[in-house]
Amino acid sequence: MFRDVTKCAAVALPQFFQTIEETGLSTWARDTPFWVIISIHAIGMTLLVGASAAFALRIFGVARDLPLAPLRRLYGIIWAGFWVQVASGGLLLIAYPTKSLTNPYFYVKLALIGLAMFVMERLKRRVFGDAGLSEPDMMANGRALAAWSILLWLGAVAAGRILAYTYTYVSYAG
Amino acid sequence: MNLAHLHLLLNHWPIIGAFVGVGLFVVSLAAKSADLRQASLALFVLIALLAIPAYLSGNAAAESIKELPDLSTALIQTHEGAAMMAFLSLEITGVFALLALWPFSRAGKDPSSKPQSAPQWNIALLFFSLATAVLMAIAGNTGGHIRHAEIVPESGGSSVVGAAGAELIRAANHVAVGYSRWVWPGLETLHFLGLILLLGTVGLVNIRVLGFLKQLPLAPLHRFVPWGIAGLIINVITGFLFFLGMPFFYVFNAYFQTKILVIMLAGANLLLFHCTGAFRAWENVGPNEDAPLFAKLVAASSLVMWVAVVVIGRYIPLGE
Repeated sequence: MFRDVTKCAAVALPQFFQTIEETGLSTWARDTPFWVIISIHAIGMTLLVGASAAFALRIFGVARDLPLAPLRRLYGIIWAGFWVQVASGGLLLIAYPTKSLTNPYFYVKLALIGLAMFVMERLKRRVFGDAGLSEPDMMANGRALAAWSILLWLGAVAAGRILAYTYTYVSYAG
Repeated sequence: MNLAHLHLLLNHWPIIGAFVGVGLFVVSLAAKSADLRQASLALFVLIALLAIPAYLSGNAAAESIKELPDLSTALIQTHEGAAMMAFLSLEITGVFALLALWPFSRAGKDPSSKPQSAPQWNIALLFFSLATAVLMAIAGNTGGHIRHAEIVPESGGSSVVGAAGAELIRAANHVAVGYSRWVWPGLETLHFLGLILLLGTVGLVNIRVLGFLKQLPLAPLHRFVPWGIAGLIINVITGFLFFLGMPFFYVFNAYFQTKILVIMLAGANLLLFHCTGAFRAWENVGPNEDAPLFAKLVAASSLVMWVAVVVIGRYIPLGE
């Protein structure tokens, strides 16, 4: 009886999950390269969230003597990290489409990352948008957004960790 | 050499180091010698690092002798508990030593002034380093009992400290793997937060030293380092809880062993070049100035090692 229930549920999964899982790229990404991809995903996280966190800390007043203007270049690291995450995360999604797409935490994680990137860009405009601002004004302008960015990144990391430990279906085949 | 051998090689260092450290520290206070104090503080932090593999390898040592005849499991448990208490006390000592050591890395407004750390750190250090020395003596003694029947007292060699520590190990194990299935992902989230803080700050200092983001002056950037160290401390705590949750999964895992080794090296690099007076040689590197070649070598090795720690950590599940 239990088996029947799983079978019925499995039929309800979209066919394209199976199509993806049967591609060569998906099979490849589930094999030994999986650990390389997941390592790159961790390094990309340190670039993306690490640079965001350093910028937010400076806005909060850590390393106060560090000039703010050159820190605009941290956004280069943030965006580089973001695209590393899109590429490595995309491969992980192709490796296990059913596991990710049937897990609500996957969508929570994606939404939080999207919001965090939106907040980071807003933060950049608020801090660097007006060239006439003094450093204390730049910091005051950015404080609330920097706090939101930290919360959103923390949430995204937490969602990612929960995602790794929860699932409804691991693969289309069951 | 096996892990039991490694345990025997490492476990004397924290004991002797704790006593030498207390002695040096007390003399430095009495003689008002800043150099001596810096040496004693760095020693405390180094042995706090070294105590990590000393503690962890104990689980492998226990496993390797469990088939031997005339072995008392109670004595092993007592030693494990006592070692836990000594280890905790040493790690706390290490954190206070780091706090007291930090001013040595900063010239401050007046470069000729002697570094002064807040007096409350000295008092905390004196208390915890003395407690560590006592607890280390108990850990060493109960450890000796395991394979030296000739020194086990008539009363059987039990210890209040050992029993308390054993209870603590059981409780930590329960919290990590028995209490709720949400604890593990929660600890991992904190572990990731710690590595983000560490790589985001220490990594940033390293890439600046290497010549990227060159407009940034080095001395103010160095102010980020304590946040990286806070991340490292979060990760030592959460990582230790993972270990206590599944000790026998980790202790024989080659990826885990390699990761601990690289953490030791990267941690010593961070301690010696960023938390002591050694950093003063580089702190005058201003905007658009090149760091000395040696600083670049140190930064490159630090960056490579911390990235390696993250990657090796991701491979741990493979090493069953």
